[in-house]
Amino acid sequence: MLPPAARLAARRLLGLATSSASESAAARRLSRSPISYAAAGCSSRLFSTALNYHLDSPENNPDMPWEFTEANMKKVNEILSHYPSNYRQSGIIPMLDLAQQQHGGWVPVAAMNAIAKIVGVAPIRVYEVATFYTMFNRTKVGKYHLLVCGTTPCMIRGSREIEEALLEHLGVKRNEVTSDGLFSVGEMECMGCCVNAPMIAVADYSKGSEGYTYNYYEDLTPKRVVEIVEMLKRGETPPRGTQHPERKNCGPAGGNTTLHGEPKPPPCRDLDAC
Amino acid sequence: MAFFARAIRHSSPYLRWRAPPPPAVAASCRWISPTAAAGSPEAGAAVAPADPETLPPREPVGGARVELPSNPEDALEVFVDGHAVRIPKGFTVLQACEVAGVDIPRFCYHSRLSIAGNCRMCLVEVEKSPKPVASCAMPALPGMKIKTNTPVAKKAREGVMEFLLMNHPLDCPICDQGGECDLQDQSMAFGADRGRFTEMKRSVVDKNLGPLVKTVMTRCIQCTRCVRFATEVAGVQDLGMLGRGSGEEIGTYVEKLMTSELSGNVIDICPVGALTSKPFAFKARNWELKGTETIDVTDAVGSNIRVDSRGPEVMRIVPRLNEDINEEWISDKTRFCYDGLKRQRLNDPMIRGSDGRFKAVTWRDALTVVAEVLQQVKPEEITGVAGKLSDAESLMALKDFVNKMGSDKVLCEGNGPNPPADLRSNYLMNTSIAGLEKADVFLLVGTQPRVEAAMVNARIRKTVRATQAKVAYIGPPAEFNYDHEHLGTGPQTLVEIAEGRHPFCSTLQSAKNPVIIAGAGLFDREDQDALFSTIETVAKKFNVVRPDWNGLNVLLLHAAQAAALDLGLVANPTESIKSAKFLYLMGADDVDLDKVPDDAFVVYQGHHGDKAVYRANVILPSSAFSEKEGTYENTEGCTQWTIPAVPTVGDARDDWKILRALSEVAGAQLPYDSLSGVRDRISMVAPNLVHVDEREPCTISSEVKPPVKQQVSSTPFKAVVENFYMTDAITRASKIMGQCSATLLKK
Amino acid sequence: MAAVVRGVLNGIREKGLSNFLRHARDEGYFKCLLDGNLLQTKIHNIGATLVGVDKFGNKYYEKLHDTQYGRHRWVEYAEKGRYNASQVPPEWHGWLHHITDSTGDKASFLLCVGCSCYDAIMVEHRPGFQKLLALPLLLEQNAKAYIVDHKENFSGEGEELIYHSKGHALNPGQRDWTRYQPWEPKKEEAT
Repeated sequence: MLPPAARLAARRLLGLATSSASESAAARRLSRSPISYAAAGCSSRLFSTALNYHLDSPENNPDMPWEFTEANMKKVNEILSHYPSNYRQSGIIPMLDLAQQQHGGWVPVAAMNAIAKIVGVAPIRVYEVATFYTMFNRTKVGKYHLLVCGTTPCMIRGSREIEEALLEHLGVKRNEVTSDGLFSVGEMECMGCCVNAPMIAVADYSKGSEGYTYNYYEDLTPKRVVEIVEMLKRGETPPRGTQHPERKNCGPAGGNTTLHGEPKPPPCRDLDAC
Repeated sequence: MAFFARAIRHSSPYLRWRAPPPPAVAASCRWISPTAAAGSPEAGAAVAPADPETLPPREPVGGARVELPSNPEDALEVFVDGHAVRIPKGFTVLQACEVAGVDIPRFCYHSRLSIAGNCRMCLVEVEKSPKPVASCAMPALPGMKIKTNTPVAKKAREGVMEFLLMNHPLDCPICDQGGECDLQDQSMAFGADRGRFTEMKRSVVDKNLGPLVKTVMTRCIQCTRCVRFATEVAGVQDLGMLGRGSGEEIGTYVEKLMTSELSGNVIDICPVGALTSKPFAFKARNWELKGTETIDVTDAVGSNIRVDSRGPEVMRIVPRLNEDINEEWISDKTRFCYDGLKRQRLNDPMIRGSDGRFKAVTWRDALTVVAEVLQQVKPEEITGVAGKLSDAESLMALKDFVNKMGSDKVLCEGNGPNPPADLRSNYLMNTSIAGLEKADVFLLVGTQPRVEAAMVNARIRKTVRATQAKVAYIGPPAEFNYDHEHLGTGPQTLVEIAEGRHPFCSTLQSAKNPVIIAGAGLFDREDQDALFSTIETVAKKFNVVRPDWNGLNVLLLHAAQAAALDLGLVANPTESIKSAKFLYLMGADDVDLDKVPDDAFVVYQGHHGDKAVYRANVILPSSAFSEKEGTYENTEGCTQWTIPAVPTVGDARDDWKILRALSEVAGAQLPYDSLSGVRDRISMVAPNLVHVDEREPCTISSEVKPPVKQQVSSTPFKAVVENFYMTDAITRASKIMGQCSATLLKK
Repeated sequence: MAAVVRGVLNGIREKGLSNFLRHARDEGYFKCLLDGNLLQTKIHNIGATLVGVDKFGNKYYEKLHDTQYGRHRWVEYAEKGRYNASQVPPEWHGWLHHITDSTGDKASFLLCVGCSCYDAIMVEHRPGFQKLLALPLLLEQNAKAYIVDHKENFSGEGEELIYHSKGHALNPGQRDWTRYQPWEPKKEEAT
């Protein structure tokens, strides 16, 4: 067991990570002061869903039996076949991903041990990988894990309002799971959809690793994101990609404003001449 | 006069060069200075225009010697600050700089661990390179022009240092590493004089690594030396680098104690105060301590150690470099047994009265009582038993004394009924510990080096890691920290190999340098002779002993064993003790006390109230290894001295002096009364014991042995060391070792 | 010298002899005669500027001309008999020791970020973000709340206030300095 001081620190850290979104207006105003951005640096670890060390709990402990399902075991063998036999540890990342899909969106420590055993390395080598990558959740998440992009373009386009709307609608704090176990909200860094900012990614673990999807919902408004959540709750699949009615994929809203006809050849080169 | 003038002329270029003489300490220890060890930057700038070819070479850092390969094509030349140095191919830039006498600051680089290149402290400028390069990870290329004291390099170091100090707490005043901290030293030498960091520092939760290593993880600078040490040298993959970015930390993820027998070494390799010694925490500052370079006696390896003492107290034990024996590691037992030196000490001579109680008496009374009893017993009823921690001087004195009293029953515990003491090669590690690195197949017979001799085990592990050497093991199931093949538990397997019936024979057959290591635990077996002759058959069959290679080894268990066998303390313990009326135990605590006859008079001479005092009639206090000058021979036959670090306790005296005094009272005066006198006597019996710090190889081959008629029994081998942490009187008295066996071995 | 005599005479004339004598005693002029340090300070004070007086009555002087640089600031303690350096309160310490040029009257504390008081000035704004409001204003307001009043070092003032290092004859602590624990034969009887 951890010493009491460590446990206290852990609780405090988690408490900070999941502190209430409803905050007095004064505090919000003050937070815009330049100092606030300096302090934000120390919260980087909070993007990951857990601490850098494991705390035993009834649903997550090393004594828990855990193994890949038969169907997934085939996939594991397929993954391992990609790598030479002396580099089996290269399969750790895809296998962790598979374990996460199988286990409802998060990797318990028992799963990491199982992977270490399959790959034939010490468990700590798998822990190192699992803690390094923030997309591996080491604590429980909802069946639909909603990841709000928090990077600059999305933030400028209002990702904080999106997140606030989500948290308020679901009645949870960040990285907390709703009481029905359906949703959890996390934050992610740039997912490459800046053109349609703001966006969220929805990792759908409700159908196990077979029906696992990872969809982007772009061009969101606080209203639309709540609608999407409601659709997911009803079991529907909202149309993925941009939610802007007039936009197609990542094209300009309302059709092209340029490149209407056949593109002109580059003016600097006379192709016929050569 | 003319001669003098010529001498000056000849030496003048040299003198000019050595104008800022390199500090004398540079040769003996690693000293960090912001400039190169020889020459200030001004001097470097002044000579820059000169032809670099003419610059005389500088001394390598720490006086290290570099052996250039015999083939000149395998050497290359680089220029460090304009000085041309020749280095073997494959050297890194950092090593090239060291050869050139420039000490590059570093945190993550450690010469005995793999290269990580993540601290960036070793940045140097290389001509034609757009950026400063991390010299520890950059291989030196022919003609490379390395600059270590240019503004670019200095600025780079300063920047790295600023980043390292950003998240490092400023708690040097309460940090146990203070005064011997690499970060402290190097920030003084290479860091900026002010910081620009005003944000909050991060903090990291401390880990519980067991009773030996204290962690203050906030101080960690993520050099990963401990992770690499645990993985590579100690062979326990418990530690790892968790998380990423500023949240990165060293840890075990799942709460886990560090269960290596070498875990204490992470304290030494940690460049900051993140991993410090738990028993030593807040006990002393390193500058208060007096270091005494001595050797360890808790096992037969004779690891080189430095005993740090403050006043009359041993405060800690740290390793000393000896490439042939322990490199720069020591086992936890060696490092942390020191508190045993302060507990349960015998400080007064004592006599058991008629009521069965001990009473402190003067030396004169105690010796008189012993001498009186000696007069009353028959000579053949006198038995002397030396303990496992005895030095050669006291072994010699005990043997001479018992012989002079007319008995030949003198023995050393652990040597068994009939030790093969005729030839030194029969009980020594003939390959030598460093020589094990050349082996490619190991056959361990009845020995578990991990608990019997942790440093030998570290060597085997090093070899296994470096050359994929194969290890086969015959003995009870045991834990190894390298890949091994468990062939069997009893001598039957050995016989099968000797007869060529075992599948392992093919491996042995194809081996170039096979090594057989037999445990000293075999000495205690009834079929000892037959076993050793079987082992010799195996050796002969698979060409283990050749003129250029001797791979037949015995791994001894105790510090006194080799010297005792050299000096001929080889009586049969069972018979000698059973028939004794006068039993002289010189620190022997592991003799079978039930076998001692009830009417026997037992004298216990030793430094700890351990097991045997309870049977003793007279107690004579003697000094421990940290308090006396003594000669010890380790398992490979290397003779070493202990140096007294602290005064002895109470009225205790050196072992051999007590025997000398007793011999005079008993009327059989020993013919020496000084240490050199004893050593002269030893040199007559075993001359190798006076050649200190030398390994005397055995010259006579084992061919001349008489044939053995004994049969190998089928009894499986037994584990010899039950509890790694508690093997002798000192370690049994130690509280730390008690904690270790309670928490790490769950005993 | 003449100026001193004139000053004395002026003082007597203004205050009357008894008042003047009382004043002279309070100011320690009589103690000067036995205490060379105090006398020297008094002599130094002539022509120096009185920079300030702290709450204990210590007077701080400065003399920029005709003084060796580095010796141009000094204190005359309010306590004339048993004065010592610990009677200088922290706000004047910086000025007196040339650490800062702001005198004790104006001194403000610059507290390091990262010390224990840090918690008090952190406000949580958004989930996961800790906001720092470490403004000097806030600190000055709160400073009085936790900064203890200065107390001089009372060593030698009374048995309970005196620090004796361990091993000192008057330290009631450790007496046995044996650095090892001897084996006790008594334990043996039990077995």
